[in-house]
Amino acid sequence: MQPMLQAKGLEKVYKRGSLLSRTTSFRLSADFTVDGPGIVGMMGPNGSGKTTLFELITGSNTPSAGKVLVAGRDIHKVRTDERDRLAIHYHQSYQVRHFRSLTPNLLLQPAGSDFPLVHLFDEPQFNTQDGYIGFMLDFFHRLRDEDRLVFLCVHPNERLHLEILQEACDRFIFVQQGNVTPLPDYQTLLNHDPVRTYLGNLLGGRVA
Amino acid sequence: MALFEARNIHKRFGARVVLEDISLSFEEGQVSGIMGPNGAGKTTCFHVLTGRHAPDRGEILLQGRSIVSLPPQRVARLGVARSFQIMNLFDDSTVLENIVLALPAFRARRRKLFSAAFADPGLLDAARGILDQVGLGGREWEPSVSLSYGDRRALEIGVALAAQPRVLFLDEPTSGLGTEATQNLAQLIKRLRQRYTIVIIEHDMRFLFQLADRISVIHWGQVIAEGTPEQLRANKWVQRSALGELA
Repeated sequence: MQPMLQAKGLEKVYKRGSLLSRTTSFRLSADFTVDGPGIVGMMGPNGSGKTTLFELITGSNTPSAGKVLVAGRDIHKVRTDERDRLAIHYHQSYQVRHFRSLTPNLLLQPAGSDFPLVHLFDEPQFNTQDGYIGFMLDFFHRLRDEDRLVFLCVHPNERLHLEILQEACDRFIFVQQGNVTPLPDYQTLLNHDPVRTYLGNLLGGRVA
Repeated sequence: MALFEARNIHKRFGARVVLEDISLSFEEGQVSGIMGPNGAGKTTCFHVLTGRHAPDRGEILLQGRSIVSLPPQRVARLGVARSFQIMNLFDDSTVLENIVLALPAFRARRRKLFSAAFADPGLLDAARGILDQVGLGGREWEPSVSLSYGDRRALEIGVALAAQPRVLFLDEPTSGLGTEATQNLAQLIKRLRQRYTIVIIEHDMRFLFQLADRISVIHWGQVIAEGTPEQLRANKWVQRSALGELA
């Protein structure tokens, strides 16, 4: 059985400056495996590379090195019009499909799946004024029960967001300055020093 | 068979997938609700269901008959009426005139003199009947521009009803209304529910919970939850928000 998602030596480097004096402005590196279905909470400061990682997983952004395997398939070698049968990127309220490939689809592989296996939710609006949070969480759970892998990217700015992550997610990924750290459960997440610093006041004192 | 049905509707704008594989069905004589957070694709859904936007894929059936490729005016004539978030009234005309202009019997006599229509007791009675239904009886000669916001919404619903629709779609009817006007609107819809099949697209959960027989929650272009108000209200987070615990 293939793992559901693998980032193998995955790297994305952004450079700036002229051709002669180019410097690296941002580097994202990821190496992790998620074996089966579940809900993964992803957090990290703005600009840390969360959205870039999502784009690499859905195949809408091309890695500088390494690869992403969804159910064993290299997403960047799958036909652009079938990549959404492996992974889908959801922006706040709609889905985004934007693929480019220098290789024509004829020379690329089929997805080998009829429906998306990995669902990446980029900062869903957990508005505390209404009850839509509940329907969103039910939806994530339903996807997991249908053997999908759900990523929930949240930049927590109130305690309630932590509560949501704790309730919904069975494992975590912390992204900071392009470094991707998998953490197996909520307690490990809260014991991870960079996470504690990042969450700061939100931890209050009651948690951990 | 449901009176109105949408099957596997897809709609995208460029890279944005706004509706993906949405299926909805509305039973005759019921109030159905479509709700979702802001930006969830509710208005696009409304436009696709009522024929303003063609879906990229999927089928829309009125009494089992496909209406998906028909122009909007044809969809309207088959009995699909809609009322918008943005008011759509003739401001310079009176309350009664707005209704008369929307009556099929008036539209059928388009070659005859406009003024003669207002001497036709049959037309005027039909228009007064509709004004009674929407709670504007006795106010037929007021200029529509002088109505309160809530009364304008009621008049707009009257205009939609003048076409004698099989199904009435309301897009965010509470938008711009205060608490009292929202409650009046809810009362109006409760009175209409005995005579019409109504579909309400709305952000405000509490409004829909008191009116709808069945509700579909859409988000990210998909139906993420469905059920009766009782079933949806049982959700832990909905209860917490109702109690003000989340704010």
